[in-house]
Amino acid sequence: MFDTLRLAGIYTKIIMRSWFQYRVDAVLRSLAVFLRESTGIIVIYFTLLKFDNLNGWNIYEMLFLYSLLFLTYGILIVFFTGFRDFWKMIQTGNFDRFILRPRGLLFQLIFSNADWFAAVGHGSLGVVLFIISAGKVGVVWNAVTIVYYVLAVIGGVLIQGAIFLFLATLSIYLLDTGSLKEIIYYDARKFAGYPISIFHKAVQVFMIYIAPFAFVNYFPAQFLLRKGDMALFPEVYMYLTPVVGVGLYLLAYAFWRYSIRHYKSTGN
Amino acid sequence: MSSFIEVTNLKKTFKVSKRSKGIPGMLANMVVPKFEEKQAVKNISFSIEKGEMVGFIGPNGAGKSTTIKMLSGILCPDGGEIQVAGYVPYKQRKTYVQNIGVVFGQKSQLQWDLPVIDSFELLKAIYRIPEEQYKNNFNRFVEMLDMSEFLNRPVRQLSLGQRMRADIVAALLHSPQVIFFDEPTIGVDVVGKETIRNFIRDLNKEDKVSMIFTTHDMQDIEKTCDRLIIIDKGLKVYDGALMGIREKYGTTRQLDVEFVENTVIGAIPNVEIKRLDERKVRFVFENHEVQIDELMNHLLSNYGIRDINVSEPEIESLIRKIYNGEVL
Repeated sequence: MFDTLRLAGIYTKIIMRSWFQYRVDAVLRSLAVFLRESTGIIVIYFTLLKFDNLNGWNIYEMLFLYSLLFLTYGILIVFFTGFRDFWKMIQTGNFDRFILRPRGLLFQLIFSNADWFAAVGHGSLGVVLFIISAGKVGVVWNAVTIVYYVLAVIGGVLIQGAIFLFLATLSIYLLDTGSLKEIIYYDARKFAGYPISIFHKAVQVFMIYIAPFAFVNYFPAQFLLRKGDMALFPEVYMYLTPVVGVGLYLLAYAFWRYSIRHYKSTGN
Repeated sequence: MSSFIEVTNLKKTFKVSKRSKGIPGMLANMVVPKFEEKQAVKNISFSIEKGEMVGFIGPNGAGKSTTIKMLSGILCPDGGEIQVAGYVPYKQRKTYVQNIGVVFGQKSQLQWDLPVIDSFELLKAIYRIPEEQYKNNFNRFVEMLDMSEFLNRPVRQLSLGQRMRADIVAALLHSPQVIFFDEPTIGVDVVGKETIRNFIRDLNKEDKVSMIFTTHDMQDIEKTCDRLIIIDKGLKVYDGALMGIREKYGTTRQLDVEFVENTVIGAIPNVEIKRLDERKVRFVFENHEVQIDELMNHLLSNYGIRDINVSEPEIESLIRKIYNGEVL
């Protein structure tokens, strides 16, 4: 156990050192990610200035909803970049090297990859949005809400990690899963920037049961904000994020364990 | 008593999707994908003893890589058995790989942006190499391969030859009992190749590790291996001493003769006559059909000769013939 943690530490040190090989680029790329993601929020900000609210959500509540999305992604990408980019390892055959080393495959995938550019870019945007909004959305920050918030963030990270792991596993069979990832991850995440109550029923079903981003930010935000549109959904969903996270991750893990036996290495 | 590496009736089949022609075919394929079975390895058996050094060759697509991948535990065989150092590779992956080292000439395992030494330290942690063993191996290999001057340079700044040496050491730090070299000299210059071959040969002699060596460079094999296994179309076509190839298949001789003047040569039974230029003629024959002294006598007594030269075929051309199915 100690040995494993030590190795995780060494991997992290190596990634950080590689990252700092290009200092200026590192700072600029993180900034680029930050700015790119901010533009989406600025658009919503100005739209809401005209409309005042969106299905009962005011601008700060919207920013709070957004902050969960970016915070979880910032953490997600420190741990699960290896899942996100797994298809590349399959195509280049670099995954073979992991098989040749006496360590767990998922352990190696998790700890030998981390996209710090995205982590800093998304993570800091999440923190900024949280700071701007948290004091103005009427949440009483006490032991219960703080513990809930932390569990919800962990659950949200696991849900997205499970989606990545599921897509990674699929690439064992399909080799390229780029477009599928666009649909069930990145497009779904764009919807998740808004309260899902504003969408057509079909989109809601997609966001709750297929690519369950609703559990990443909408339902946790509802637990803290208690907006009227929660009446559309079963109340228990507000408490389910950690369960969905762990459950989904275990499911993706089982799929991985089953599929890795079918792994076909690339030629030469 | 079974051998150190024992491979029996190994088989591996891949499913490749079969593309039908034209747009209707493409659409039909999307709905009902058709697969074709490709037998990469049909039936291969061999055994290798501890400390043996075996060249493993074959044309592209012969099944070499697939066999090596099954031996190293990357792929799971469809049929047959593999046992290496008492392990079944694909079953006991984590303990098994602790005992093997794999060098892929085409794929580095070093950290691209960091000094070589950082990759070594990472491997030390991954393989849980004890401090003393690490130090001994490190010092010894760095000296043997003359690497001290570039240990602290980032890998991206190394020449291909330097990178390859570093990659070889990376695969050996944990003292493996079996080493797979997959094209370890590819793209390296002549001097670099020589350094690598010498190192591999010395290591094999001193440490008695078993080595399996795939390459397309016959010089690699001639300078390092005593034994050769040739694979073609998923089957083993030769297994034996390197020199045995010449004895078994190298029966063709050629005699290049330079005559004093432009001469017309009459037909000789069982000898192929090729005119190289005005005065030079090549005679090609099988050494069990034609006695070389009789042929030379015949020529010397009938024509005026300036120079004569007998040559045996090169191993490389013999192997080309084996690939082409001309011999066997």
